[in-house]
Amino acid sequence: MTARGATLGLAVACLLLCNAAVARPVSYTGGWTLIETSNRAATAGLVHYSASYNFSLGFRHERQRDDDVALTAIQPTFLAKRWFGKTYQGNLYFTGGIGTASDRSNGHQSSDTATFVGVMADWETRTVFVSYEARFLEQRTLGNHSMHTARFGWAPYEGDTGELHTWLMLEIDHRDHFEEETAVTPLLRFFKGPALFEVGYNLTDPSPLANFTYRF
Amino acid sequence: MRQLFTAITALLLTTSLPSAYAESDTAQSVTPEAHADMKHGDMAHDHASHDHQSAGHDHESANSAAASITRTQEISDALEQGGNPVVVDVLGVVCDFCAVAMNKVFGKRDEVAAVYVDLDKKTLNLVVSKGAALTDKDIEQLAMKAGYRIAAIRRDSQAMGG
Repeated sequence: MTARGATLGLAVACLLLCNAAVARPVSYTGGWTLIETSNRAATAGLVHYSASYNFSLGFRHERQRDDDVALTAIQPTFLAKRWFGKTYQGNLYFTGGIGTASDRSNGHQSSDTATFVGVMADWETRTVFVSYEARFLEQRTLGNHSMHTARFGWAPYEGDTGELHTWLMLEIDHRDHFEEETAVTPLLRFFKGPALFEVGYNLTDPSPLANFTYRF
Repeated sequence: MRQLFTAITALLLTTSLPSAYAESDTAQSVTPEAHADMKHGDMAHDHASHDHQSAGHDHESANSAAASITRTQEISDALEQGGNPVVVDVLGVVCDFCAVAMNKVFGKRDEVAAVYVDLDKKTLNLVVSKGAALTDKDIEQLAMKAGYRIAAIRRDSQAMGG
């Protein structure tokens, strides 16, 4: 493999792993989804519209707390593959984005072009959940970030349609620009109808986690 | 020990083959000859293109374990008004987002008088309005719009558990 091929492969892999949403970044055809995520690194909002069952286009705004940079971007996401079974579902998503990053630190403001690529893969039954996602973000003069996250989840009971679904999850994330590069966050996921809420606390880099997704 | 292993292997193969068939992640198509040997619960197929009475396949045994329609108030009301029941086995139904997706997509159709996704049974339950038609192909395409794939469709008495 040539260096260019390797770079392209890495970029595609990063795209697949990039900062996809915590829950199904592509919805049903014609569906809208609102996603909020807040963790030790950033608070972000994403609104996306699914033009088909395997493609969504969204608007993302994200504030990176550590260096006080705001990212605003258009974010397309592709469902590359969905595996179906009687008791399971697996998904592979690729995502990316292009927009503007603005430095808001030290009382001055500067902006630069920002791009990111990512990937997310998940596999779940009604009681077991595993996922992996990654993102590579390039903000030119405002710094580049890479992120990897893995999750393991277990539901103590199988909730039926419309009931409250509860999950116990453990998230491990790796962020190369943080002093504590690898961190562990136990969290609870509550899921009912079109709404999903997650709350947790990062034990390694003490900070709360709060995520919300609503599908309509 | 070897006999025990062989017996366990045979038992596992016997019990796992039907579900493995249904769990294939690729859309399945069959020849008319192969279709005649199939059971209705095995996979999605085109009901409109063959004669149910003369095809020679075994409806009763295939449906003995098939889920019947789940009755919600909306489903019961629609049935009382003369609607036609349809039960669809759906692959990959694991969470409420799956249910929301199918409820939204099927609920928008005028032909659908009632819809309910049963996560426990992994079924999509529909009542088609009296006088309206919703073909198997329609159901398959709508399920795909929602992001899912169907494994089998049962209608009328089969959907009611008969």
